[in-house]
Amino acid sequence: MRRLAGFFRAQLIRVWRLLPLQMGVSLVICVCVGIPAALLVMQGAGEGQERYRIGLVGDVSDSYLGFGIAALQTMDDSRLMIELIEMTEAEAESALARGELTSVVRVPDGFLDAVVFGDNDIHVTYTVASEQTQLGATVMGEIADVASTLVTASQSAIYAMQRTLCEQGSAERVGTETDRLNLMLINLVLSRSGFGEVEVLGYADGLSLEAYYFCRILLLLMILSGLFGSVFFLFRKTALAGMLRAAGVGAFLQIAGEYLAYLAFLFAGFFLPFCLLVPGLERELFSLPEWEGRGAAPFLALLPFLLASAAMFAAFQLFLYELADGIVNGLLLLLFGGVGMAYLSGYFYPTAFFPAQLRVVGSFLPTGAAARFVESGFLERTACGAGAAVFAWLAVFLLLAVVVRQRRILRG
Amino acid sequence: MTMEVRGIRKAYGKKQVLADVSFLTESGQCVGILGGNGSGKSTLFSILSGVRRADGGSFFYGETDLLRYLGRIPDLLGYVPQTDPLMEELSAWDNLRMWHDKGTLNRELAEGSLALLGIDAFLKTPVRRLSGGMRKRLSIACAVASRPGILILDEPSAALDLVCKESILRYLTAYKEAGGIILLATHDVQDLPLCDVCYLLKEGRLHPYGYDGDYHKLAEALL
Repeated sequence: MRRLAGFFRAQLIRVWRLLPLQMGVSLVICVCVGIPAALLVMQGAGEGQERYRIGLVGDVSDSYLGFGIAALQTMDDSRLMIELIEMTEAEAESALARGELTSVVRVPDGFLDAVVFGDNDIHVTYTVASEQTQLGATVMGEIADVASTLVTASQSAIYAMQRTLCEQGSAERVGTETDRLNLMLINLVLSRSGFGEVEVLGYADGLSLEAYYFCRILLLLMILSGLFGSVFFLFRKTALAGMLRAAGVGAFLQIAGEYLAYLAFLFAGFFLPFCLLVPGLERELFSLPEWEGRGAAPFLALLPFLLASAAMFAAFQLFLYELADGIVNGLLLLLFGGVGMAYLSGYFYPTAFFPAQLRVVGSFLPTGAAARFVESGFLERTACGAGAAVFAWLAVFLLLAVVVRQRRILRG
Repeated sequence: MTMEVRGIRKAYGKKQVLADVSFLTESGQCVGILGGNGSGKSTLFSILSGVRRADGGSFFYGETDLLRYLGRIPDLLGYVPQTDPLMEELSAWDNLRMWHDKGTLNRELAEGSLALLGIDAFLKTPVRRLSGGMRKRLSIACAVASRPGILILDEPSAALDLVCKESILRYLTAYKEAGGIILLATHDVQDLPLCDVCYLLKEGRLHPYGYDGDYHKLAEALL
């Protein structure tokens, strides 16, 4: 017991000696990751307020069409999302190429004549810069289609009504009835948002995209912290393991002592970034949609989940460095193993884009279990299953490390 | 106090490394084990120090079979491996503190046996800056933390200069005189004067060997 205490004390002194280096690296990472992340968040916040810019090309001089466009831009809900800009064909092409426009809506020549004569075979066309399959592009296509059909049909109806009234000798009613029909049309267009409701489930069980990547980037940093953690294993000696074994400190106790010290070493590295995150969230310098207006409290509530995951990744790193012959092999194992598992668990792309079988595999990997666990914490849900998986992986990695250490001692 | 190794056997798969290793010694004696590379010296020492399990045999210290009561080995036996077991980031003092409590350590360094090793000169120096000789002396100092009755050393003077060898030899002689038993695996004939009895480990068995100063004859015997 005395030697175990001495061994653990020596490990803590090692942590203390390596601490300035750890804090220095942590500071550099904070600067290198923090500044681009802050810029991205600020840019993202700006993007949230940006509107789709749609170029209107062609003959839009007709009073009805102009009235419709003005109504859309002043009264309709879509004005918050879409900006319609009249321009020439050349200007539109150029702006589309420069990425200044989201799309171009072309009102073809003869469109209004066709409408007047009741022909519905000429349509407004909608052009985007590249083929997209996202919901946004689909919705934009639908809007163009609806506008085309609605305007064509309604304008046809108005002109038909005017002709019929004139033929019946009721020309004095044309103005009143046209106004009435236009108001019906406007009412129909403006109230269309009440037709249905869009429910956004997000990319991971209800998380916003920002929250999804916030969780996964933190977890990825925890995995990659093992790259710098290699300094902890740099001078590992089999002779020490053998001598400790002879002194009654077996492989299990050795691994336990090293693991606790390594955990303290890693947590010391997380201290600085977390200390910067808390005031940042408190002052709302940056935030996530789920945490809007709640300060740093949700992050502090999430901390136990993050630290438990970090503890599991620490065990994973300890096992890999124990398994590898030499520090370079350990680094390569960690890089390929860690990043590979992270990829399969959706750390780089949402798992929603993966085939179903791959999603199942990814969720059972240590990286997947940690992601599910942290996401449960994020959503303030009970996380017994994911938590059990994280701690099971932690135990598995530590046991494997003990087995490898035992073999190393015996091989001398 | 007597120490008796009786019929130790160990095989790795089909290869019998130790067939029937037996010898008897007593307090104040040094047993030298000579043998070529891969002859089984390290395996024998790892069995005696409780690191590895033997396939059979016993290891008596007094009346106690230590292979049956492995938990008693750490208090009775000190083991110095061939390569140094020191933590590079720590100072010599911190390495010693891993094995000794502070009071005992101060006492031993001031007037006890550790003073003979001359380690107080580099106590505050980080291990990564120590020479091979300093490291070996420090390793021995760490191993004798529990004031063991038996000290096992695996090639203690390999690649050391004469001054370091002398310092280590002086300490081991004092250890013997204080009633300790030393088991020494060595290739170095300069260690042999310390040994009261020498054995040649060959084909898994110990053969008594008397070194007469003829180095070539020893080399032939090791083949």
